[in-house]
Amino acid sequence: MKTVKRASVLAFLVALFLPGIAFSQTDPGVQGGPARAGSPLASVNSSDGTLQFFQNGQARFQDIESVSNSPTGNNGLGPRFNFVQCSGCHLQPAVGGTGPATNPQFQVIANGFVSGSTNTIPSFITANGPTREARFPFFFDANGNPNPNAPNGGVEDLFTVSGRSDAGSCSLPQPSFALAQQTNNIIFRIPTPTFGAGLIENVDDSTLLRNQAANANNNLGISGTFNHNGNDGTIARFGWKAQNKSLELFAGEAYNVEMGISNEIFTQDRPLPGEDMNAGLPASCLNLSGSGYPEDTTNFTTKAGSDQFATNASIPSDTVMFAMFMRLLAPPTPSTTTPGGATSIANGRRLFSAIGCATCHTPTLSSTQASNFTASLGNAPANAFSDLEIHHMGTGLADNVSQGGAGGDQFRTAPLWGLGQRIFLLHDGRTRNLLSAIEAHESNGSEGTQAELNFDQLLTSSQQQDVLNFLRSL
Amino acid sequence: MLTSFSRFLIFLGLSMLQLAAAQAPPQSGGDFSNNPEAKKLPTGVLLVKGAWSSASDSVTPLPEGGRVDKNIYNNPYFGFTYALSPDWVEKFSGPPPSDSGYYVLAQIRPAETFKRAARGSILLAAQDLFFTLTPAGNALELVNFTKDKLSPDYKVEQPPALVTVAGHSFVGFAYGSPVAELHWYVLATQIRCHMVQFVFTSRDDKLVESLIHDMDKMTLPAEAGPISGRGGGDVPVCIKDYASGENVIERVPPVFAERRFNPVPVRIIIDKEGKVKHVHFLSTFPDQAKAISDALSQWRFKPYLHDGHPVEVETGILFGRAPRMATSPSTNAGTE
Repeated sequence: MKTVKRASVLAFLVALFLPGIAFSQTDPGVQGGPARAGSPLASVNSSDGTLQFFQNGQARFQDIESVSNSPTGNNGLGPRFNFVQCSGCHLQPAVGGTGPATNPQFQVIANGFVSGSTNTIPSFITANGPTREARFPFFFDANGNPNPNAPNGGVEDLFTVSGRSDAGSCSLPQPSFALAQQTNNIIFRIPTPTFGAGLIENVDDSTLLRNQAANANNNLGISGTFNHNGNDGTIARFGWKAQNKSLELFAGEAYNVEMGISNEIFTQDRPLPGEDMNAGLPASCLNLSGSGYPEDTTNFTTKAGSDQFATNASIPSDTVMFAMFMRLLAPPTPSTTTPGGATSIANGRRLFSAIGCATCHTPTLSSTQASNFTASLGNAPANAFSDLEIHHMGTGLADNVSQGGAGGDQFRTAPLWGLGQRIFLLHDGRTRNLLSAIEAHESNGSEGTQAELNFDQLLTSSQQQDVLNFLRSL
Repeated sequence: MLTSFSRFLIFLGLSMLQLAAAQAPPQSGGDFSNNPEAKKLPTGVLLVKGAWSSASDSVTPLPEGGRVDKNIYNNPYFGFTYALSPDWVEKFSGPPPSDSGYYVLAQIRPAETFKRAARGSILLAAQDLFFTLTPAGNALELVNFTKDKLSPDYKVEQPPALVTVAGHSFVGFAYGSPVAELHWYVLATQIRCHMVQFVFTSRDDKLVESLIHDMDKMTLPAEAGPISGRGGGDVPVCIKDYASGENVIERVPPVFAERRFNPVPVRIIIDKEGKVKHVHFLSTFPDQAKAISDALSQWRFKPYLHDGHPVEVETGILFGRAPRMATSPSTNAGTE
């Protein structure tokens, strides 16, 4: 009898709470299984040489760079850097992606890339946290106080080559990360994934302007603008603030800033912003590779091999080949069934648009311009879920860093393709939880507040779950 | 008297201190500062702004200058007040004016104390008809543009039509999303060559009806109407493209120190003598604002006459070099 009573009570409790459990929306999390990205575009093939260029760029993307004396010739690292290999930070879910689950920056001393006697691992770099670069929004004054009247915003590289056996007598301190944290004068950025980047590069400005005009007067409080290239005034589109015009510029800057390797676009070793204002890098830390500048150049002495295209691909500089690899990477392939099933994903996609998310996260930019690289890049839709505009995202996300025309609270609409297999979210990787990332869209001064309110306050839990399933299907 | 050993110890200590100082990060004021007592920056505060709004004086009301106070939204520029329904609040302020002339005036939502099950939101926004990216020339056309550009995810529930709110003519337009089971009800009018709109969103029609009913308590300027709001009376007459052709007697181009590519929409008030009395920069960098202010102070206009008498006139000028979509000429955004 007691058993029957207990069963009845249990059944009652289940009936009471099950609906709540069933409709409590949760982030489905990072989607497992095979990587949905990392392959070349469909038109890339070995008969026209594009495949050889893709493969060559992909291999160089994974090279480990040294300061000097590299047996493979990969010299020029440093004197300051964030990591030694592009794919160290661009690895999730495949080479070319974003930060992996196990942070290689945390292992730099253990792996011998950095001397533990001259460098420490900053506290914001953790074993399973996001790969990061750090920036100080403001310079410190002579008394060590951050000065709000002296904007900085440049990258403060995490490590130095000091103490490495191939770095000679170069002795450099790390920036004052602990003080910057103590004074709230530090912000972070995580790597942007580069899948489908060639399509983004090949969207012409008029398509972007038409999309902007079509979304005007949207009844959602949204009105973005574009960041422009300072040289020719056309629309820039790469980076968290759309500050870079092209993939080659993007690659050249990253090679110089993140790895300390001068190249044909950025031809000197880069001092930190504070060093730059003073004497620059010390002479003992210059030309550490011993072969002059730039450290990455066109390979004039390449000898012909049996495969003409493979030979051709080995001639351009690393910077050119990084850009080519990113350009020829296919966009991620979304799932139509996971997570949550086809019906939920399809429903979530419609809801995503209905509540206003798609106003900025434009599902499709109609068509790219004709391409001289490969057929897949030309006259093709860019399903990036981005308008490539910069938007005011409010005080909750503001990082007080200005880049080009973007102010401290403006960010490019992050392309969402491939979101299903991303681990760390938002520009600084502050969360792994998609719900938290959505929540961060509302704050004082944000264009995203109304759409976030629609999601958070006006959809049912079941509808919210559909949106989350859709986003993790990408 | 110090012994030799004591002197040696002091010397050794000083030497070690010097050595330690040499190894510590330099006090360069750059990337290597070191002060355990350093001041903290505030968190959640925007300190580095990009292009932003500003004005030549702090007295003349601005479109973005409205505020919610004691549960009443009051906008001196547009000359209207709107009493929030009980238990509705403004939780977050909106973004700054955009470089296409769009303003988020207020975003209203239910307070924590709100009892009703179905929730909703109210967006108060304005679009400057001088700088809109659309071809619309008045509020009615702009609402029609919105209807025409609605994505297939929405269904029109009530096409744009004239309605009366608080004794003034508005355009009413309703649409909904069948999948989201949400409804949007838009009420728009025109004041000082801006479309001013109220957007109500909810899944509960009755809630929206009650919110719209509460709008009857609004006070609005006499000019408010879907195509009629062109200033006048106590405020300047607004005229699109007045700063063109023979209206400009003397024009001095601004000298920009730095080449930028952002659009710089500027709204000016010209006094009865034809001088620029007030400059409102909707979105500009400080150096651009300075250069434009310096230039505009030298511009001279033909005074605008109304019934034979000179009156103040308000118009817009787009500076800057940013590419933007060409829109067909406005038909009646205060054009002459």
